[in-house]
Amino acid sequence: MTAMEKILRLSWANIRKHKLETAALVVLVTLCMLLMGSALEGIKGAKSIFPHLMEHTCRYENHIFIPDEYYKEAFADILASDERVSDAAHAEVIYSMSTDYLDDEGKEQALTMCFSTGYSHEILELSEIETTLSDEEIAALEHPIYMPYAARDSMGYKVGDDFDMIFGTRRFSFVIAGFYDAILFDTPGVGLKMIVSDQDYHLLEAIIDKYTVLAYNDGQGKGGDKLLEETLREFDEYSNSNVSDNVMSALYKDLKEGITYDTDVLLKILVGMAVLIIIAVAIMIRFRIAGDIKDQIVNIGVLEAMGYTSKNITLSYVLEYLLITVAGIIIGTAGCFLVSPAFFRTGEIMSGHLSDSRITAKPLIVTAVIIIAFVTVISFLRARAVRKFPPVQAFRKGQGDHRFGREHFPLRKTKSSVHLRLAMKGFVQNFKQNLGLTVCITAASAAIVFCFIIFTFFSGGMSAISKSSGIELSDMKITLINPTDTKWLAEELETLPEVRKATPTSGESIMINMPEKKQVLLPTAFTSFDVTENIFTSEGRYPQHDNEIMLTNMLGKLDGFSTGDSVTLEYNGVKRQYIITGFVTSLTNGGINLYITEDGMKRLIPTYAPDTIELYLKDGVDADEFKYTLTDRYGRSIADAGNAADGEGSYEDRIRAEAEKQIAEIIANQGGNHVEYAIQSGDTVIKGSSSGFIIDSVINLSGVIKTQLAGMAKAISALTTVLMLLSALVVMIILFILMESSIRRQRKEFGVMKSMGYTSRELMLQLAFRIMPAAVISVAVGTAFSVIAVKLFASFIGVIETNMAAVFFMDAVLLLFCFLCAYAGARKIKKISVYELMTE
Amino acid sequence: MGTAVLHTEKLCKTFSNGGFQQHVIKNLDIEIREKDFTVIMGASGSGKSTLLYALSGMDKPTLGKVFFGKEDISDYSNDRLAIFRRKNCGFVFQSIYLLENMNVFDNVMTGALVAQKNSPELIKKAEDLLIKVGINKETWKKYPNQLSGGECQRVGIVRAVINEPAILFADEPTGSLNSASSRDVLDIFTELHSKGQSIVMVTHDIRTALRGNRVIFLSDGSVVGEHEMPPYGTDDLKKRRDGLQDFLDRMGW
Repeated sequence: MTAMEKILRLSWANIRKHKLETAALVVLVTLCMLLMGSALEGIKGAKSIFPHLMEHTCRYENHIFIPDEYYKEAFADILASDERVSDAAHAEVIYSMSTDYLDDEGKEQALTMCFSTGYSHEILELSEIETTLSDEEIAALEHPIYMPYAARDSMGYKVGDDFDMIFGTRRFSFVIAGFYDAILFDTPGVGLKMIVSDQDYHLLEAIIDKYTVLAYNDGQGKGGDKLLEETLREFDEYSNSNVSDNVMSALYKDLKEGITYDTDVLLKILVGMAVLIIIAVAIMIRFRIAGDIKDQIVNIGVLEAMGYTSKNITLSYVLEYLLITVAGIIIGTAGCFLVSPAFFRTGEIMSGHLSDSRITAKPLIVTAVIIIAFVTVISFLRARAVRKFPPVQAFRKGQGDHRFGREHFPLRKTKSSVHLRLAMKGFVQNFKQNLGLTVCITAASAAIVFCFIIFTFFSGGMSAISKSSGIELSDMKITLINPTDTKWLAEELETLPEVRKATPTSGESIMINMPEKKQVLLPTAFTSFDVTENIFTSEGRYPQHDNEIMLTNMLGKLDGFSTGDSVTLEYNGVKRQYIITGFVTSLTNGGINLYITEDGMKRLIPTYAPDTIELYLKDGVDADEFKYTLTDRYGRSIADAGNAADGEGSYEDRIRAEAEKQIAEIIANQGGNHVEYAIQSGDTVIKGSSSGFIIDSVINLSGVIKTQLAGMAKAISALTTVLMLLSALVVMIILFILMESSIRRQRKEFGVMKSMGYTSRELMLQLAFRIMPAAVISVAVGTAFSVIAVKLFASFIGVIETNMAAVFFMDAVLLLFCFLCAYAGARKIKKISVYELMTE
Repeated sequence: MGTAVLHTEKLCKTFSNGGFQQHVIKNLDIEIREKDFTVIMGASGSGKSTLLYALSGMDKPTLGKVFFGKEDISDYSNDRLAIFRRKNCGFVFQSIYLLENMNVFDNVMTGALVAQKNSPELIKKAEDLLIKVGINKETWKKYPNQLSGGECQRVGIVRAVINEPAILFADEPTGSLNSASSRDVLDIFTELHSKGQSIVMVTHDIRTALRGNRVIFLSDGSVVGEHEMPPYGTDDLKKRRDGLQDFLDRMGW
C-alpha cells in the first residue's frame, strides 16, 4: 500500500467513525463558504453598478444644481470654457425638499422630489424608459409620470399605478407610465427624480423651486472639488452674489462612493461573519484533533508499530479535514449560485441602479483557497502532536496525559450538588478546550448582542431614530414669507389648543462656510437649545453665547475637532471666530449641521432673523388636518395659492384668485416679500396685497426623515436578525461538536459513573454545566465588546441608546441557549451502555 | 441460610448480531441470599458476566424478571436503574475503571456523593476505609496512573462499598492483578463478607472462588450445579479446596 493510500484509509475511517461531528463541521464550512463567497460576489457585483451606470445611464459625471434666482445664462458658458471640462450642458428641473404623497394605504408620507420634463431628461441622462404600456396607452394618459427604478423596487409601484402628490390642500394625481435608471435622486432615501409631461411641469413649477442643472464631464472626476470651487467662485464674481453658498452639487467621486456605500457595508458585515465562522471552524478542528489523539492514542501506537509514520498519521488528520472542507466548499459554492443573484438584486435595490452582475469564478476560488489554506495549516499544526507519541509511549496512553498540579474543586469540599462540583472540575480539567470555546462564544455573543442593540434601536420606531437625527423633528416646519412674522406667529400659534409648542428657528436658505476645512455647514439656530427636543449632545454642552457653536460628531471626528477648539465661520466675506462647546449625533444631512444660537447667527449675519417655526402638536392632533386650521387662520400658503383652480366663484373672486396666483408666483420665483395690486374693472377697483400670505410652505419634515430612515431601519433590522440567527447557529454547532467530542473522549468515564448510579440526565447536566463558566465569561466579555462597539458606531452616526435591562435579558437568554444546546448536545450520553462498556 | 435479597424468574438474555441470535442466559431461576459470598463460575461464554450485569441492574433482561427483595427491577428505565444501583449496589471491575482524571480521594467521593450528601462523617468514613485497605494518606492525592494495579483495585473496592450497598458485585476483581495483589484484594473481600456484606463475584480462578461460601456453576446460560461451603477461614483450607475441585470436576471444569 502506498503512503497516500494509507493516509486516505486512515482519514476515511475517521470520517466514518464520527459522522455527526463531520456533518456539523461540513455545515460550518458550508456556511462560511456561502457567506464569504456570496458576499465577495456581491461586493464585486456592487462594484459593477457604477461602471454600468456610467456606461448606460450617465451622460455627465458632475452636476451642479443652482436655484433659479441665482442662475445666470452665462454660467453655462463659463463652465464650458474651462479647459478641464470636456463636455457640458444645462437643463431645468424643479426641486422640493419635502413633498407629501399618498402611500399604498392612503396615508400622507413625505419625500424629497425633483421633476423634469422629457426634454430636460434627455439633455441630462442616457437612460431609457422601461414600460409595459404601448405608445397609444401612454398617449391616452392625462398625467403620466416616469419614476426611478427605486420607486418600483423599494416602494413597490407598478406601471399603471396612481401616484398622488399633495401640495398644501391640493392633490395632484399621476399615473405611472414607466420606470428608468435615474442618476441623481435615485432612492427614497435621497429623493426621487420624476419625469412629467410639459403641461404638468408648468403647473408644478409655479409652486416648487426651479433649479438649473449644470452638468459636465471632467475626465472621470479629475477636476474634482478644485474645479467646482473655482467655477463657483467665478459664478459669484460674475453675478456679484453668493451663488456658491446656495448650490447643491453631486460630483463624480460622490456618485462613485455613494452609490453602493450601503451595499458595501452590508456585504462587508457578512464577510466579517464568515471570518467569525472560520475561526470557529479552526477551534473546532483543534478540539476534535486533540480529543481524537487522546481517544485513539493506543490505536495510534498500534498503527505506528505496524509501520505507519507519525507523518502518515498527521497527514491523515489533515486529509480528513481537507475532505470535510472540500465537501463544505462544494455545497457552499452551490449555495453561492443560489444566493448571489439575491445579493446582486439587493445591491441594485439599495443603490437604485441596474448592474452587470453575474457570478464569476474568482471570488469563489479566492474564498475556497482561503478556507482550504486556513484549515490545512490549523489541522497540520494540531495533528503534529502525534510526533510526541512513539509506539511505547502511545501504548501507555501517553505521558503527561493527566495534570498533576493543584487539585481543583476537591470533592471533599462539596457543599451542595456533586454534579455542579464535578462540572466545575471538568471545566478546569478541559481548560484549554474551554479557552477556545470562550473565544468562539465571545465572538458570537458580541455579534449577537451588538445586533440585538442595533435591532432594538431601529425597531423602536421614530422616537428612537429621532434621537440620532441631529435635527428637530417637529410635527410641522412652517417657513414664513417674511421673517418679521416669525416671532409673533410663533407666540400666536402657541395659544392654539392643538399646539404644544412653536419655536422660531432658521430655515434652510443659508449655508455657512468653514474656510479652514473647506466645509459648507447648514445652520440650525435657536434662541436657546434648551427648547429643542431632538438635538442631543454626545459630548460637551449646548451653545449659550454668541461666540459658541456645536458641530456633529461625524464632522468632529473627520476634521479632528475637540470641545474647546476655535473655528472660523464665514458668510458673504464676513468671518468670525467661534468656540466649539460640544458635538451632536446626527444621521442626517451628511453630518454638515451647525448648531448655533440666534445671537451667534446675528454676529455673523447681522440681518439674520428666523424665518421658520418648528411646530409641535399635542398628542392626538392630526398634522394633516391641522394644515386646514392653519389655512383658515392665516390664509393659503404660497404653495396653495399658486395652484388655485381657475374659473370658480364670482367675477371679482376669480380676479382676486388670479391676482393671488400671480403674487404667489412672484414671491415664490422672485423672492419678494411684499406685493400689492390694484385692478380696475369698470367702476370698481379691486385691491389687494401679499399681506394675506404669511406662510411660504409647510413641511412635514419628520415625514421626510421617516421615509429616509424607514428603509434603512428595515434593512438594518433584517440584517441584524439574520446575523443574530447565524451567530446562534454557529454557537449551536460549536457546542454540539464540543459535546460530541467530549462524550467520545470520556465515554469510559461516563460509563463508570453510570455504573456507580449517576443517571444519564445527571451526567448531561454535568456536561452542560461544564461549559457554563466559559459561556458566562464569553457572554460578559462579548457584551462589553458589543457595548463598546455600539458606542464607537454611535459616535459616528448618532446616539444609540442601549437599554441595559434588555441587554442583560438578552445575555440571560444567550446563556440559557448555550445551556440548552449543550444539554441537548450531550444527549448521546444516554446511548452509553454500562454493560457494553464493561464487556468491551 | 439467609433470606433471598435478589432472585430471578425465567431470566433470559439474548444478543442479536447481524441477524444471528445468541441466547446467553436461558430461563434462569436463581436466588442470591443475604450475607452470602456467592461465586459464579463457568467456562468462557457460559454467561457469567451477563448474569452478573443482569442481576445488578447494569443491563436489562430480554425476558423474565429480576427481583430485588419484592421489587421487580426488570422493567425499570435506565435512569431508575441508575438510582437503584446507587442505593443498593457496589461494583468492583476486572479493569478497575478508576476515573483517571481524578485523584484517589475524589474517586472514592465520586461514588459516595452520588448517593449521600457530603458531611464530615462521610469524609471520615472514606478516609477510614482507605486506611483500612492499606491506602495511606500520602496516596490520596495521587492519580490512578501513579498507583500499582493492586492499589487501584483497593481504591475501587472502597469506592464500591462507601455507600454500604446491599450487594457488592465483583467481576473477576483479581483478573488483572499479580498474585500478591490478588491476595490482598481477596482478603478485603473476605473481611467484608465476615462483617455481613452480601457479595456476588464472577471468577474462573479456583483460589478466588475459595473465598466464597456458595459457588454456582453456569454452563450454556443455565445453572448446572451449586456448591456450598462454610465461610472462608472457618474450615480446613485443603479440605475446602478439594471439595470445590471435586465439584468443579463434576461440572466438567
